[in-house]
Amino acid sequence: MSPPELTSRNWLGKAAAGAILGYVLALGISGLCYWALGAAGQGLSTRAQFTMWLISPIWCLILSFCFLFRSGLRAWAVLSLCCAPVWLALYATGALS
Amino acid sequence: MKLRTDIVKMYKEIHGWVGIISGLCLFVAFYAGAITMFEHSLQRWASPASTLPAPVALERVPELVDKVIAADPRAAKAYTVHLQTGTEEPARVSWSIASDKRDEHAPQTTFYGALDAKGQLVVQSAGPSPVGGFIDQLHQQAGLMIGTEPGLLLMGVVSLLYAIALVSGVIVLLPSLVKDLFATRLGRNAKRMWLDLHNVLGLFSLPFHIIMALTAVVFAFHDPFYASQGATFSNAMERPARPAGKPPTPPGPPPAPVSPATVVASLAHELPGFTPKELRYGTAPNGTPSLQVRGEDPRYGNRGPNFTVAILDPATGTVTGPDYLGGQQDGWGALLTGFFTLHFGSFGGIAIRWAYFVMGLAGAFLFYTGNLLWVESRRKRERRQSGPVVQSRATRILGALTVGAPLGCVAGSAVTIAAAKPLAAVATLGLHSAIYHAVFFGFVAWALVRGSARAAIELLPGAALALLTIPLASLAFSARFETSVPALDAIAVVACGLLVLIWRATLTRVRQGPRDSVWSLEAATPQGPAPREETAQ
Repeated sequence: MSPPELTSRNWLGKAAAGAILGYVLALGISGLCYWALGAAGQGLSTRAQFTMWLISPIWCLILSFCFLFRSGLRAWAVLSLCCAPVWLALYATGALS
Repeated sequence: MKLRTDIVKMYKEIHGWVGIISGLCLFVAFYAGAITMFEHSLQRWASPASTLPAPVALERVPELVDKVIAADPRAAKAYTVHLQTGTEEPARVSWSIASDKRDEHAPQTTFYGALDAKGQLVVQSAGPSPVGGFIDQLHQQAGLMIGTEPGLLLMGVVSLLYAIALVSGVIVLLPSLVKDLFATRLGRNAKRMWLDLHNVLGLFSLPFHIIMALTAVVFAFHDPFYASQGATFSNAMERPARPAGKPPTPPGPPPAPVSPATVVASLAHELPGFTPKELRYGTAPNGTPSLQVRGEDPRYGNRGPNFTVAILDPATGTVTGPDYLGGQQDGWGALLTGFFTLHFGSFGGIAIRWAYFVMGLAGAFLFYTGNLLWVESRRKRERRQSGPVVQSRATRILGALTVGAPLGCVAGSAVTIAAAKPLAAVATLGLHSAIYHAVFFGFVAWALVRGSARAAIELLPGAALALLTIPLASLAFSARFETSVPALDAIAVVACGLLVLIWRATLTRVRQGPRDSVWSLEAATPQGPAPREETAQ
């Protein structure tokens, strides 16, 4: 069975998921890196700045490839499922409390 | 490489739409960005001879600074000592006062201080030309004139679209990559030719474009990025690092800042190879004094567009903050400096500046060919549907904008640069902006009224003439300007010659090209083969 054809017609739902959840995911991953690198310190450390830079490529990649989802609904669902463990892990580090 | 045809088709459509939305803004950003590669030369060309007394020797700077602060106490908070002075930086000491304290992007007035022969303070607000700053602003906000913050955010969105356009463009090209890459078919088929050019330019400059897209997203969005990090995790993680209960400021007034002569001497000892250019005495957010030194070190990439940064202890002049300093920073700092310097082209000296200049112009041309392709492919689709060719309003408008906006940008920046000479001391950022936008919107309006074909023939010589105003201004005002930059005049003449060549090619195309093209004069005239055209408006 061949997978269903992709089209650019339902771009809005997919792009919105990529823009919003893509940003949430990128921010979460930057937070995990912030914790893992021990970027916290007085003022803005170079590690902390690096985690800010990380947001850009992650967000851009998700935005570019979110069109490969079959529908806007699937994009929202799958990206939500990706965000959940990242933000749960970030919560577990105690950084969100 | 094989890819599913529906994926390629989908990304082709996405590439077209994100491209057409962001293309004209990107053209302006890249064209102006290419000029900023030589901002220093532009400033030397554009700045009138200063009427300030000659800069005092470094040893007398404390005396000058004391007199400045006595005359204008606001200068005590932040002032800059310029170690390298010249036409483009006439004063030893300058200080800037913001018109609105709450807004860090608010326009500032800069004052320049000097001592005359009797040791009296002379203060002027007329300094070097603001045209370099205007071109920089044009680069950052594409001349959108919606304020700095909204302009940055909008350019951030444009940068995101640009990133999507890069990925989708590569996906579209992948299946035919081997077949198409080295085949540039410059023939009768105009669309094929533009597509081949677009592909070869896009693919070979892809690393440059990836750098620009990713860094531009950060430059535009770094305030929101830091704010959202702070709102979620970074503030919370930082709290334990601050020792509680300790008074934030030491008792008593801070020690007097170290004198510039001492700083220069200690830097020569501590950082051999680093040439300081300016000492920025300032005040940290917590009220304590700060000292930042900007300078050059050709051995390393620069953190800034044309400077690298050392943070010093203002009381002793020793380096305390090596984070931004090539050779002293840790690996993370070096990585960050890499991101900045790759965007600014501030590494590897003059050769890289020229390379970035060429790549910036090539990027602008890439977006122009992209727009042309959008117009060309729309045209074809309509021919299939409706038989007799009537270009849709969208195609006509975008065709006209594709001609008017880039040529308007080229002409507008040329005229506003040339205007620096006659304006001289009365030039302001606002005046340069007004001149640029008057020319830009004039070109765009002309293109919309006359249609793309006629506008191209009429506006190309206009833009060529606009470029000629630069060497003409050099000649006409040579008496009032101490420095000349012949290379800048020469580039303007070469660019003018290129536009004349393009003009001649366009004339041929307009006369001999296919009648159903948006570039055909016949299609644009009411008595042509398309009677419904234009009468419907």
